[in-house]
Amino acid sequence: MIGAGRWQQNARRAAPVLVFAVSVLGLSGCGEIDQKAKTEKIYSGKKDAEAYDNTKFAGDKSKWESAMVERSKTQNEYNRTDTKKPAAN
Amino acid sequence: MARMKFICDAERCIECNGCVTACKSEHEVPWGVNRRRVVTVNDGKVGERSISVACMHCTDAPCMAVCPVDCFYKTEEGVVLHDKDLCIGCGYCFYACPFGAPQFPQAGAFGLRGKMDKCTFCAGGPEVDNSAEEIKKYGRNRLSEGKLPACAEMCSTKALLGGDGEVIASIYQQRVKRRGKGEEVWGWAMAYNRKDAKSAAKQEVKA
Repeated sequence: MIGAGRWQQNARRAAPVLVFAVSVLGLSGCGEIDQKAKTEKIYSGKKDAEAYDNTKFAGDKSKWESAMVERSKTQNEYNRTDTKKPAAN
Repeated sequence: MARMKFICDAERCIECNGCVTACKSEHEVPWGVNRRRVVTVNDGKVGERSISVACMHCTDAPCMAVCPVDCFYKTEEGVVLHDKDLCIGCGYCFYACPFGAPQFPQAGAFGLRGKMDKCTFCAGGPEVDNSAEEIKKYGRNRLSEGKLPACAEMCSTKALLGGDGEVIASIYQQRVKRRGKGEEVWGWAMAYNRKDAKSAAKQEVKA
């Protein structure tokens, strides 16, 4: 009976430690680990000029970007055709 | 500016292969190499769908990750390009690419592989823009001329959209709203619950 009492006492003492250890172990699964490959690939070829670095755009990036956006918008045929109803005469 | 992207609208693609022809013609792509091709799912059956596929210029491109000679680079606009002078034609990029984009011209007898060739988003390569050298190795550099990829601009039904990601996404969105279907193509519902994708997507839209 004495042995059982000691065991209970020990269990009571160990309980908070166990709870703490389990919660820490559980939380360890919540970490966000970077899953990207660690190998860094460095391009070792020739340097390419930017698309706007030419006589047409004269290195003006914003001019080239706005030209590309405008060109992209031409693919929307809803804008190219007049979708409004014709005015009644 | 957003990244340069392609979207192919499977509801509109009529498998005319105009994009394939435009690409081959524009860049004088050698025989046996197809930078772009049209894939048809459920061919000949009711509800068949076609989609035009080429290099998707991935954000985290697997071809770049596996290249043993590091011949790939990415432009500011997110276009994945490569230096043919460095390429050794090993074919690793072909195995890594989920779209089968890298192509290898036959460089001799017994199926000897040449240097890798792929869609450049009509952005050429690391040579002087629109020089004879660049045209010979990579084709025309339309982006430097303020033009979009030839395949997208030639598409007769405008199924294939190319250019600024935000702009083409808004064009596609407007289209889906007009025709009242197509939203099921995108999102979690399609990725994780294929059977009920359509109804789940409609619920998402309602919510």
